[in-house]
Amino acid sequence: MWYIWNLSISLSVLSLVIMLFLIARRVLQERRSKAAADQRRQLLTALIAFSENRDREALKAAILSVPAGVAINAGFEFISLLRGEEHDDVLAAFNECGLPALVGRQLNRGNGAERIHAAEMLAALRSEGAVASLLSALDHDHSREVRIAVAIALCDLGSLPPLGIALRKIGVAGQRSRRLIELFRRFPPARLHELADHAARTDAMPFIRAAAIDALARAGGFGFADLFARLAGDGSPEVAAAALRALGLTGHADAPAILASATANGNWDVRAAAADAAGRLGLSELAPPLSRLMDDEVWTVRYAAANALRSFGQPGERLLREMASSEVSRSQRTASLILAEGPAL
Amino acid sequence: MIADWSHETVLAATILSWFIIGAGLAQTTIYLLQLVVAGYALSKRPPVARSALLWQRYGDVAPPIALLVPAYNEELNVVESVHSMLALEYPNFEVIVINDGSKDETLLRLIEAFRLVKFHRPYEEALAHKPIRGLYSSPMTERLFVVDKENGGKADAQNAGINVCRAPLFCVIDGDSILEPDALMRAAQPFIDDPERTIAVGGTIRIANGSSIEAGRVREVRLPRRLLPLLQVVEYLRAFLMARLAWSRINTLMLVSGAFGMFRRAEVVAVGGFTKGSMGEDLDLVIKLHRHMRDKKRKYRMQFIPEPVCWTEAPETLSVLARQRTRWQRGALECFFRYRAMLFNPRYGRIGFLGFGHIFIVDVLGPVAEVLGYVLIPAFWLLGILSAEYLLAFTSLIFTYGVCVSVCSLILEEAELQRFPRARDLAVLTAVAVIENFGYRQLNNFWRVKGWWQFLRADQSWGEMTRTGLGGAKK
Repeated sequence: MWYIWNLSISLSVLSLVIMLFLIARRVLQERRSKAAADQRRQLLTALIAFSENRDREALKAAILSVPAGVAINAGFEFISLLRGEEHDDVLAAFNECGLPALVGRQLNRGNGAERIHAAEMLAALRSEGAVASLLSALDHDHSREVRIAVAIALCDLGSLPPLGIALRKIGVAGQRSRRLIELFRRFPPARLHELADHAARTDAMPFIRAAAIDALARAGGFGFADLFARLAGDGSPEVAAAALRALGLTGHADAPAILASATANGNWDVRAAAADAAGRLGLSELAPPLSRLMDDEVWTVRYAAANALRSFGQPGERLLREMASSEVSRSQRTASLILAEGPAL
Repeated sequence: MIADWSHETVLAATILSWFIIGAGLAQTTIYLLQLVVAGYALSKRPPVARSALLWQRYGDVAPPIALLVPAYNEELNVVESVHSMLALEYPNFEVIVINDGSKDETLLRLIEAFRLVKFHRPYEEALAHKPIRGLYSSPMTERLFVVDKENGGKADAQNAGINVCRAPLFCVIDGDSILEPDALMRAAQPFIDDPERTIAVGGTIRIANGSSIEAGRVREVRLPRRLLPLLQVVEYLRAFLMARLAWSRINTLMLVSGAFGMFRRAEVVAVGGFTKGSMGEDLDLVIKLHRHMRDKKRKYRMQFIPEPVCWTEAPETLSVLARQRTRWQRGALECFFRYRAMLFNPRYGRIGFLGFGHIFIVDVLGPVAEVLGYVLIPAFWLLGILSAEYLLAFTSLIFTYGVCVSVCSLILEEAELQRFPRARDLAVLTAVAVIENFGYRQLNNFWRVKGWWQFLRADQSWGEMTRTGLGGAKK
């Protein structure tokens, strides 16, 4: 039994000693942080002054007078508020003061949050060595969050490797992140075909394919409508639903037939996406299948179908009223609720 | 002296002492294991961005969220709370206040402050709850909806809110709590990084007593001035930074606090929402989600992340704290016995062994064994039935290991998070982490045994939670 007592005393004393050390460390940190706050204020004042007088030398002197870490953090937040010539001038001053080199080191040696921030800053600073540092980080960084941030930065700099390679470097675990949607949305028009190729690959992850379709619908428009029409019948519900939503944005000559078929799909997400797309495109000839969806077992589908019918204007409203006044059923209840939506009279 | 007692008496006392010490050892081992795992989790946690960068990074891909705020007799604080929630920094969210049949003027205050008008909004009747008397929207903001319903309790109100909300994610929060402006954005991060598997995320609850609060925001973080809430600061630190973080790391998180938790709506609807009348509706929901996902053999994650912070008011009097703790104990026991089939059931893997094992040792056996020990071990020693070794072993388990565990939680906080602004605060909390083991811990265990007794008597009373209000008003 004695060992329980002895061990407890040792552990308690050890924990108290460590805590006392941490308290002492904090006292020192408090002193340093006061100085850093003053330096930050000093730099921000110089940046604001630069907005008025455009004296680049004075700004550079102010940047060099504070520690590089303070300059980078305060400066980056300020730069993100600027646009146009003023933005470029401040960037030039930061580059001339050699800050990108420090940011590059932070990309290699900082903690996860610092490395992500460094990738964002390198993209903003657009310095000479930025692409090489970022490509190296895409290859070697062990954090998937950092690799995604690096890929986004490279995309902004127009130097992202081919999509297949970039995704392989990001890794399988990273390919579930919604941050990839952000990456795809930044793709330049000239490289949208890579997204299209990836969306069409049946061996790729459905989540990625759906994200690629979403980005194409926003950026590529009607140019990819044929692809969306083809993918609307994909075996993966996630991909099919994304393709139907995209069709709802771009339209397609075969959309009525594709959407009518999708309203009978076994997956509720696909049925809801089909109803939603029919409403967006105003395809009133799809009223019969949409009326059938008003009796769907899933509320989301019923609600999407009712909204689609309502978007058809008077004919749709008339249908909804007929349903609302029919015998009590799921479709009758949904129609009544949709017709009543809005301020109470 | 031991020779003066019969062999049977000594044997019985030894067995009983071993049971008490064994339960204490098991509990301490769990805590030490949690400390190690929590330390590892903190060192490996995903990168944490400064608040200013969050919007820029995640704003475009952040999923819509409904903030569900059940309110019962909250007339004093409800308007200020809603104002502070509407001012949260998140691109796409709505606030749904559920007036759960308040007897005071909660609804009237909201109608006046936000010029609410009755509104029809179609919603899915996916979960059962007491009838809704009316839905209200505000011409001042599209983000606010108020559900006025008959009284049915917190779980019932939350279920009504889940029905009415349209966002794929919802966040539950107590009406008298204060969210940090970036809390939603931080809590949504796991849903952004791993949207397919993440079904629930819990954040940290911190104690606001003593801090300076203006316009529904914590402006300056300060420690409570009174001892009782100060003791709870260390307690919360242990609960969140040690226990939840550790279990979250190995996907065994058993509790996402009802005061601040974010859930994927579809899965919560699939398990029937919050269990009405439950004393621990938040624990109950998380267990149901584990069971559902494991039964369906789906990959999932429920995570605790320390950064999103919700401020709450801790009880300042012993009587209110006692009611809260007995209720928590009843809630834990209720859930344990309701889902007892999961205990050590291989079908539920680490949830059955670690999660339920933890509840069994810490909540079911723990308080009873410890309170028995307070009486029996010193008595056996004084009567000469047992040697001093037993007394020392028990003393170390309830005092010295307690000090070690509390101080180590504080070490984790300071080494990785540094959320207490001054070195002086750390010194005060270190002292509190030591003294809480001499009196407060014993009192807590006494309340938990009382909770056990109430559970056995099937006492379902919630108990009045008197608060002074974060704004300072009595209610």
